[in-house]
Amino acid sequence: MSSSVAYSPVRRPLGAFGQTGPALGASASGPASASASVASGVAVDLPGLDTLLDPFVQPIRRISIVAARANRRARPKVFYAAVIVAGLGVVMLSQLMMSIALSDGAYTINRLMSDQKSQARSIQALTEELGTLSSPQNLAANAESLGMVQNTNPVWLRMSDGAVIGTPTAAAPGTGAIGAAGSQVPNELLTGIPLVTGQ
Amino acid sequence: MAMVLIALFVGLFAVRLFDLQVVQAQTLNAAAEDNRSVPLKILGMRGDIYDATGVVLAHSVLRYDITASPKAAVGPSATPEIAAAKLAETRADATRIAAITGQNPDDIVAALTDAVAADSAADYAYVVKQVDVETFEAIKALDIPWVYYEAHPARTYPDGAVAGNLVGYVGAANEAQAGVELSEDSCLAASDGTETYERSEDGVRIPGSTVETVAAVDGSDVVLTIDADLQWFVQQTLAKYAQEYGAGWGTVVVQEVRTGKLLAVADYPSVDPNNVDATAASDAGSRAFTAPFEPGSTFKTLTAASLIDSGQATPLSHVLAPYRITDDGVDINDSESHGTWRLTLTGVLKESSNTGMSRLGQLLSPQQRLDYMTAFHLGTTSEVGFPGEEPGYLGDNAPDWNAQTDYATTFGQGLTTTAIQTASIYQAIGNGGVRMPVSLVSGCRAADGTITDAPATAGSQVVSPQAARETVDMLENVATKGWLASRIAIPGYRIATKTGTAQHSDGNGDYADTFNVSLAGLAPAEDPQYVVSVSLGDPVRMNNSGATAPIFREVMAQVLKQFQVIPSGSSSPDIDTDW
Repeated sequence: MSSSVAYSPVRRPLGAFGQTGPALGASASGPASASASVASGVAVDLPGLDTLLDPFVQPIRRISIVAARANRRARPKVFYAAVIVAGLGVVMLSQLMMSIALSDGAYTINRLMSDQKSQARSIQALTEELGTLSSPQNLAANAESLGMVQNTNPVWLRMSDGAVIGTPTAAAPGTGAIGAAGSQVPNELLTGIPLVTGQ
Repeated sequence: MAMVLIALFVGLFAVRLFDLQVVQAQTLNAAAEDNRSVPLKILGMRGDIYDATGVVLAHSVLRYDITASPKAAVGPSATPEIAAAKLAETRADATRIAAITGQNPDDIVAALTDAVAADSAADYAYVVKQVDVETFEAIKALDIPWVYYEAHPARTYPDGAVAGNLVGYVGAANEAQAGVELSEDSCLAASDGTETYERSEDGVRIPGSTVETVAAVDGSDVVLTIDADLQWFVQQTLAKYAQEYGAGWGTVVVQEVRTGKLLAVADYPSVDPNNVDATAASDAGSRAFTAPFEPGSTFKTLTAASLIDSGQATPLSHVLAPYRITDDGVDINDSESHGTWRLTLTGVLKESSNTGMSRLGQLLSPQQRLDYMTAFHLGTTSEVGFPGEEPGYLGDNAPDWNAQTDYATTFGQGLTTTAIQTASIYQAIGNGGVRMPVSLVSGCRAADGTITDAPATAGSQVVSPQAARETVDMLENVATKGWLASRIAIPGYRIATKTGTAQHSDGNGDYADTFNVSLAGLAPAEDPQYVVSVSLGDPVRMNNSGATAPIFREVMAQVLKQFQVIPSGSSSPDIDTDW
């Protein structure tokens, strides 16, 4: 506590504003203004220590080394300006690049979305075609046109004793489920779709 | 002075700035947003309808309206020469469109010029509505600047008229109009969503600007109990014979005995939901549900089962069956003239004697018989709840029927049932007397596969298992000894059947001189699994139940084959039919 109090006047040249307690044991009961005068007295008395502790806040230097300071400060200014300008440049450039990448992505998304739409349309068209072609009317009509006649006189073979149940009779052409009557279950979607044998 | 001027200007700017940034801020922001953003309707797709095996019976698709900007196509031009050139170009474009759509190019151009004549700034006219993907892609490839496109959800029915009478159809705006489309609309219906996004000058969506304000909800799928392949076979077979015998209409119901599920419900004439206009409006529904009729002798099965269940009769109970009975207020007769027969109850069913069934039926009080009918779910609509389904009618003042109706209701006249109700009677008899709820829809299937609205599965014991078994035994004797025996026999299987030839009302309170003929039965009879019930309306070329025999035999044989039912391996019991 006591050492901190001792150096504080030096680091705060405005003295009294930062002062929170009596300085360095001298006339401890004195007013704030008295402490300030004591503080400046200490600064003058201990220049070496002061420099060590706080090289940037140095009322004594400001007064003494004018030319040297000007030279020393000119170099960082240019450096900082360059850094900031370059930084700005980098920021703007990367923003530009990001913007280009983003809009490029936007076009890619747009293209992919329209691709997706057109593929979905293809799927729909193909699904519809498949559904129509696999409808029972169409399958049965094609099967019969290829000579596959469903026998309305089923006969079973019993596996346990090899017995034939029923009287086997060949299915004559035209006696199938569709037969001579033709397809009686309409399907508008099959309009214009020829039988496999008719192609 | 200068200071005053500066202050004045600064003040002016400050006022304007305040006006723009605060007073008008909201309006201007909204206007800017409108300029950049595009609202978009996201279409919700109506659910599909499937059969029991996963075949799609009704499918949602997109159809495209091709629209045009008449203003851009044939709108006002700077000079007549430019106008003429523009018209010639439009005509050429219209010819290319017409080559794809099969329209008349002049009609397309006329529609555009008419629109411009009515309003020179007209920006919207139809070129063609509801084209499919192929046509749409072809027109789009033409890349005509004044042509625009709109997608609409629509409905297609890949299997056409297969189950068309059941599935129903939708209207031009995709609104449900008939059948399952209508009864299950709450499951199938979708709701559209909206989103807005901002777009650049060339129409490209700006990344990150999409805001979905309302999510689109697709409809759920409906799964039927129908088997599409069997349904097709039944419809084809029904239509073939209905035409051969000149019937005005016909129905065939195939029902699973254990579950009450309808596997096929065929109507003739059938409707193709893809082209409803090709069918008369009266044929567009399902008669099996909506057209009750007097069932006739197939109903004797119910009376016989009631008699046995109540202990009033056995299959061997004796009765004297004259050709005609003319009691007080009663005048009934059998279909063909005969002397007095000495029949057992089994014989009454085999000969289908109206007089014999009337005499035996009197052993039960009218109230008792009505109770049995009600237990068999007659007089009320089935659990299916098909649009326009009828409950049937159990006669005036039931059970205080007049004397004639009291007798007639024992053999299926004087009351009406639907084809579904008739099938349901046989289902209960075949299922050990347990009537199962009739079901057409297995449920509503959400996108995640969960099924809701599954039908009730609790059956009700209508008659005792013993009474049901004895009734099936009697019906087997009908199948093996009746006049149609050779025409309905399926080698290897025991079947149980009952025919019916019913008079029907002429619409003026009297009977017409035409008949509805029917045949209902169960197979395999030793352990009934399937009901097939056939009805034909007024078959002019074969006016008796013989017309239904080939339909019954072919459909039942197909059912036994398709569901791989093992042949019976035993013979039907032999019960005396007379004494």
